Amino acid sequence: MKWWITGAVVLVAAAIVPTFLDPTGYAIRVLTLALLFAALGQAWNIVGGLANQISLGHAAFFGLGAYTSTILLINFGLSPWIGMLAGAAIAAVAAYLLSFPTMKLRGHYFALATLAFSEVLRVIAGSWTSVTGGPVGLSVPFSPDSFWLLQFKSTMPYYYIMLGALVVISGVFVWIRHSSLGYRLRALKENPEAAEVVGVNTTQVKISAAVISAALTATLGTLYAQFTYFFDPEAVFGIIPISVRAAIIAILGGAGTVVGPIIGAFLIVPMEEMANVLLSSRGAGLSQLAFGVMLIAIILIEPRGILALITNGVSRLRRRKSS
Amino acid sequence: MAFIQAVLDGLMIGGVYAVISIGLTLVFGVMGIVNFAQAEFLTLGMFVAYFAWKFLGLDPLIGSFLSFVVIFGLGVVVQMTLIQRVLNAPPVAQIFVTVGLLIVIENLTLIVFGSDFHSVTTSYQTSTLRIGPLFIGIPYLAAFLMALLSAAALWLFTNKTWYGRAMRATAQDPMAANLMGINADRMRQIAFGLGVGMTAFGGAVILPYFTVHPTVGHQFVVLMFTVVVLGGLGSVAGAVVGGFAVGVIQSVSTLFFPIQLQNLVLFIVFLTVLAVRPTGLIGAAR
Repeated sequence: MKWWITGAVVLVAAAIVPTFLDPTGYAIRVLTLALLFAALGQAWNIVGGLANQISLGHAAFFGLGAYTSTILLINFGLSPWIGMLAGAAIAAVAAYLLSFPTMKLRGHYFALATLAFSEVLRVIAGSWTSVTGGPVGLSVPFSPDSFWLLQFKSTMPYYYIMLGALVVISGVFVWIRHSSLGYRLRALKENPEAAEVVGVNTTQVKISAAVISAALTATLGTLYAQFTYFFDPEAVFGIIPISVRAAIIAILGGAGTVVGPIIGAFLIVPMEEMANVLLSSRGAGLSQLAFGVMLIAIILIEPRGILALITNGVSRLRRRKSS
Repeated sequence: MAFIQAVLDGLMIGGVYAVISIGLTLVFGVMGIVNFAQAEFLTLGMFVAYFAWKFLGLDPLIGSFLSFVVIFGLGVVVQMTLIQRVLNAPPVAQIFVTVGLLIVIENLTLIVFGSDFHSVTTSYQTSTLRIGPLFIGIPYLAAFLMALLSAAALWLFTNKTWYGRAMRATAQDPMAANLMGINADRMRQIAFGLGVGMTAFGGAVILPYFTVHPTVGHQFVVLMFTVVVLGGLGSVAGAVVGGFAVGVIQSVSTLFFPIQLQNLVLFIVFLTVLAVRPTGLIGAAR
């Protein structure tokens, strides 16, 4: 098996890259965001890729993570590291409760239900002003360079934290895929009725995947809040900025594969950032437009993502050479 | 009395909700696809009616017919180029093609029309009709009547014309419809065109009391889904009942909750219905 050598080389490269960059510069900021969104796509991948449950509501858990840690920090001075665990716990409970109405739903219905759930939380965050700051949002109290309070002047530490998050979540993804839960999820994905018949408790399997995915997503919400210092309900509970983006990142690269979300995030995030810089005010619309066009294109050309496109191309070339 | 007034207001707006949601349920009924971009066609319909008012001097209630025609044509093109290709694809492809379409339309309107808010002025904008102690705003009444008119027209089309029957046959069994000499692809194009056209029409008739901007569709997304899920996805009659129900729930809930929580009540109704009876409370189960 050579895959782990490749993985180790990529990881070492990822660890060395920032030393060549300006630690407060723009490039490292884009890479840090790309790592964060790769991790988000990976967390979505556990539900969307392994279980084939198309969630359009992962912003619900992302936002819960961001709001929980920030509210605890503002009101009680609690370290975001602890807030992150609290957020993950709340998101896990939320995912567990949400599984009751969504347990039997498939395809479009599941997507609709998860979308509505994240909208419920967005509305609450926007109207419960005394706690959440309402539509204005929350600012993380500024106290730079404290590991305990997860705040740094330089972008470099954030880069390594996001890299760590991506490695951990990818590790969880790989571990699930090779565990008995992973085999049950695969059975569920291929044919839910058949899985049920051979004795897979499909309900329990779905709930396990949803709860793990939600908790991981919430930790990323906390990291996002600490990295950006400021967020409003739309930024963390938004359908397009979080839920759809998480799904697109995984699908564009290749849903169900461990490298898919990483490829997706490193294509989409730099592209969006570049468009924003080059095209200023109108750029926002244009980069989003490109985002939508890419989504439609990949679905029509190869719904299994860029990774499948590449492997198909490579095997076709090989066949041509050998013949 | 405030309660009766709220119910009346709810029915007025509910009629419009019914019409904009019929399109969603029609497309699902014929193709089994949930069009996540449906609300964007409402935005486009509003823009067409707005420009018809601005440059041609057409009242939005007349312009709404133009909206219907233009968006019907656009819908046929979208069906031919995009939706047709994912008809037999797994749900993930169907979901994300329409989500992609949503992002594309929203940002195209943003780039082309700018992010400004636009509204029309009409002679009847501030008039109200008084029935005893109750009041109805004329723009609301007009939109309601136009909505009823279009729903009735759709009913006549689907039940009394050959095309309507052929469309329903395609919904029931595309293969059998094909064998009977019906061009199923053509029927799907008509269904998608009609679906988005109805939504655009509904957007145009509310223009006298609603401002239009590129993200106006957001306010209607979950609302439309609530209407169709209440009525049963795929059921046109269900969408009409669902529309009135959502209008009344929304309007009455403002008597008890702050206005920001208006949509929260709807979302909870939506999730509850999905949990208890995903095929809809009203109408036939598919």
